[in-house]
Amino acid sequence: MLMIKDISIGRYYQGDSILHRLDPRVKIILCFFYMVTVFMMTTVPGLLATFAVVVFLCILSAIPVDTILKSVRPIVFLLLFIMLLNVLTTRTGHPLFSWWIVKITDEGVLRAGLMALRLFLLILSTSILLTLTTTPLLMADSLESLFGPLKRIRVPVHEMAMMMSIALRFIPTLVEETDKIMKAQASRGAEYDTGNVFMRARGYVSVLVPLFVSAFKRAEELAIAMDARCYRGGEGRTKLHVLHMNAKDYFWFSFLSCLCFALIFIDLFVKIS
Amino acid sequence: MNEKEKGTDYTNMLDKMKKKFFGSDETRRRMSTRKMTSLALLAALATILMYLEIAIPVVVPSFLKLDLSEIPVLIGAFAFGPGSAIIIELIKNLLHLPVTSSLGVGELANFLAGSIFAGTAGFIYRKYKSKKGAIAGLAAGTIAMTVFTSFLNYYFMLPFYAKLFHMPIDGLVAFGTAVNVYVTDLKTMIIFAFVPFNLFKGLIVSLITALVYNRVSPLLHGRKRLHSGQPETTPPVTQD
Repeated sequence: MLMIKDISIGRYYQGDSILHRLDPRVKIILCFFYMVTVFMMTTVPGLLATFAVVVFLCILSAIPVDTILKSVRPIVFLLLFIMLLNVLTTRTGHPLFSWWIVKITDEGVLRAGLMALRLFLLILSTSILLTLTTTPLLMADSLESLFGPLKRIRVPVHEMAMMMSIALRFIPTLVEETDKIMKAQASRGAEYDTGNVFMRARGYVSVLVPLFVSAFKRAEELAIAMDARCYRGGEGRTKLHVLHMNAKDYFWFSFLSCLCFALIFIDLFVKIS
Repeated sequence: MNEKEKGTDYTNMLDKMKKKFFGSDETRRRMSTRKMTSLALLAALATILMYLEIAIPVVVPSFLKLDLSEIPVLIGAFAFGPGSAIIIELIKNLLHLPVTSSLGVGELANFLAGSIFAGTAGFIYRKYKSKKGAIAGLAAGTIAMTVFTSFLNYYFMLPFYAKLFHMPIDGLVAFGTAVNVYVTDLKTMIIFAFVPFNLFKGLIVSLITALVYNRVSPLLHGRKRLHSGQPETTPPVTQD
């Protein structure tokens, strides 16, 4: 059977640090800045400086180190694959080890290490700034605020954010339901992971049909409940928690983006000299 | 006779008044509440199915892994049109970003490929609302997706990966040659490895979608009402 209960959306870590309290819109923009910066890093000193900054962010977030390191798990395969390719295909530099067609050089090892470090920093900075310190619901809210100007050109920004929130709310419910239906159909003889692809597809259909029926039913109930409470779309709708930038948010935004530019300058300086 | 006509007149008047005060759904808002909640729930289902792929341990080679998350998007395309399908696709990928295993590149590719697939299928089905139309839509969608992803991989994805991570294409091609002798360079790799894989994936997903939509559509088109809030008499469970 599939481990469907293990699914958890996002990886928010409950806390009350500076980064947790920072305005989520600031965090999204900073996250973008840091991604671009890490991509641009090509020199060893540049990467080491970035590493120092990321460690500083870790300290700011006040999240235990093992939790932070766990966020790297989804890209471990990509990381190993890229390292392996880099080590095996680099032919220049002094050979360290050579056997049959395999030839490992010091340059290849260095390059693989740099690539791995870069990828590692990339995933770390994004997860500390965003996924670990911001709830998915808050993220949906801030996306609505950030993309608000697109409402002018008739992009349904409010509706999209609303749908994201609804989807987030119903994912646990539907996961539980999927689990229930899969067990119910398995007890009637449905098969999901045995037999050929077509037999498996039949098993999936027996789960998907009741699942879709239930989802549409929930959607209709929710729509009626929302209409009954006079939901009229985004225009003129008020909120309980309004996102508001204060002095601290401005300070951290300018400080952390300055840090970003400093890193780019270090990298450029090393490259020129 | 006269009474009856008066009766219908009243309902017409009521409708007109309703439209005057609240506006029809089209003029008042871009999307009715029911459509919005339906799309949200479809996006939730799609996200769950996308997460499932990670939950399944990687014992089966990626060739046999089915991308089930495309199914709710296709159902959405049939039920609400191609634009709605793209919205579902976008929400699904946004919700999947926190656990990305490829730094968002995979999500971007999935969004583009899925939008083409479901968009084409939904567009054709909207023109020809019949079983044949649905099958033609799914077939055209599969082909469009395959062609599009081939170009995307050749001109954008693979060079992008190569540049980003110094990943040599030759190394990748060598891996391909080991599996399939016809693979000699990037072009043949796409033709002999990616195209059959995408066609096969599209075929399976289309098949499941057709079977599911066949059962679900009467309920969507009001031939079978969803009695919400009332005690269920017959639970809508299939007999597979």
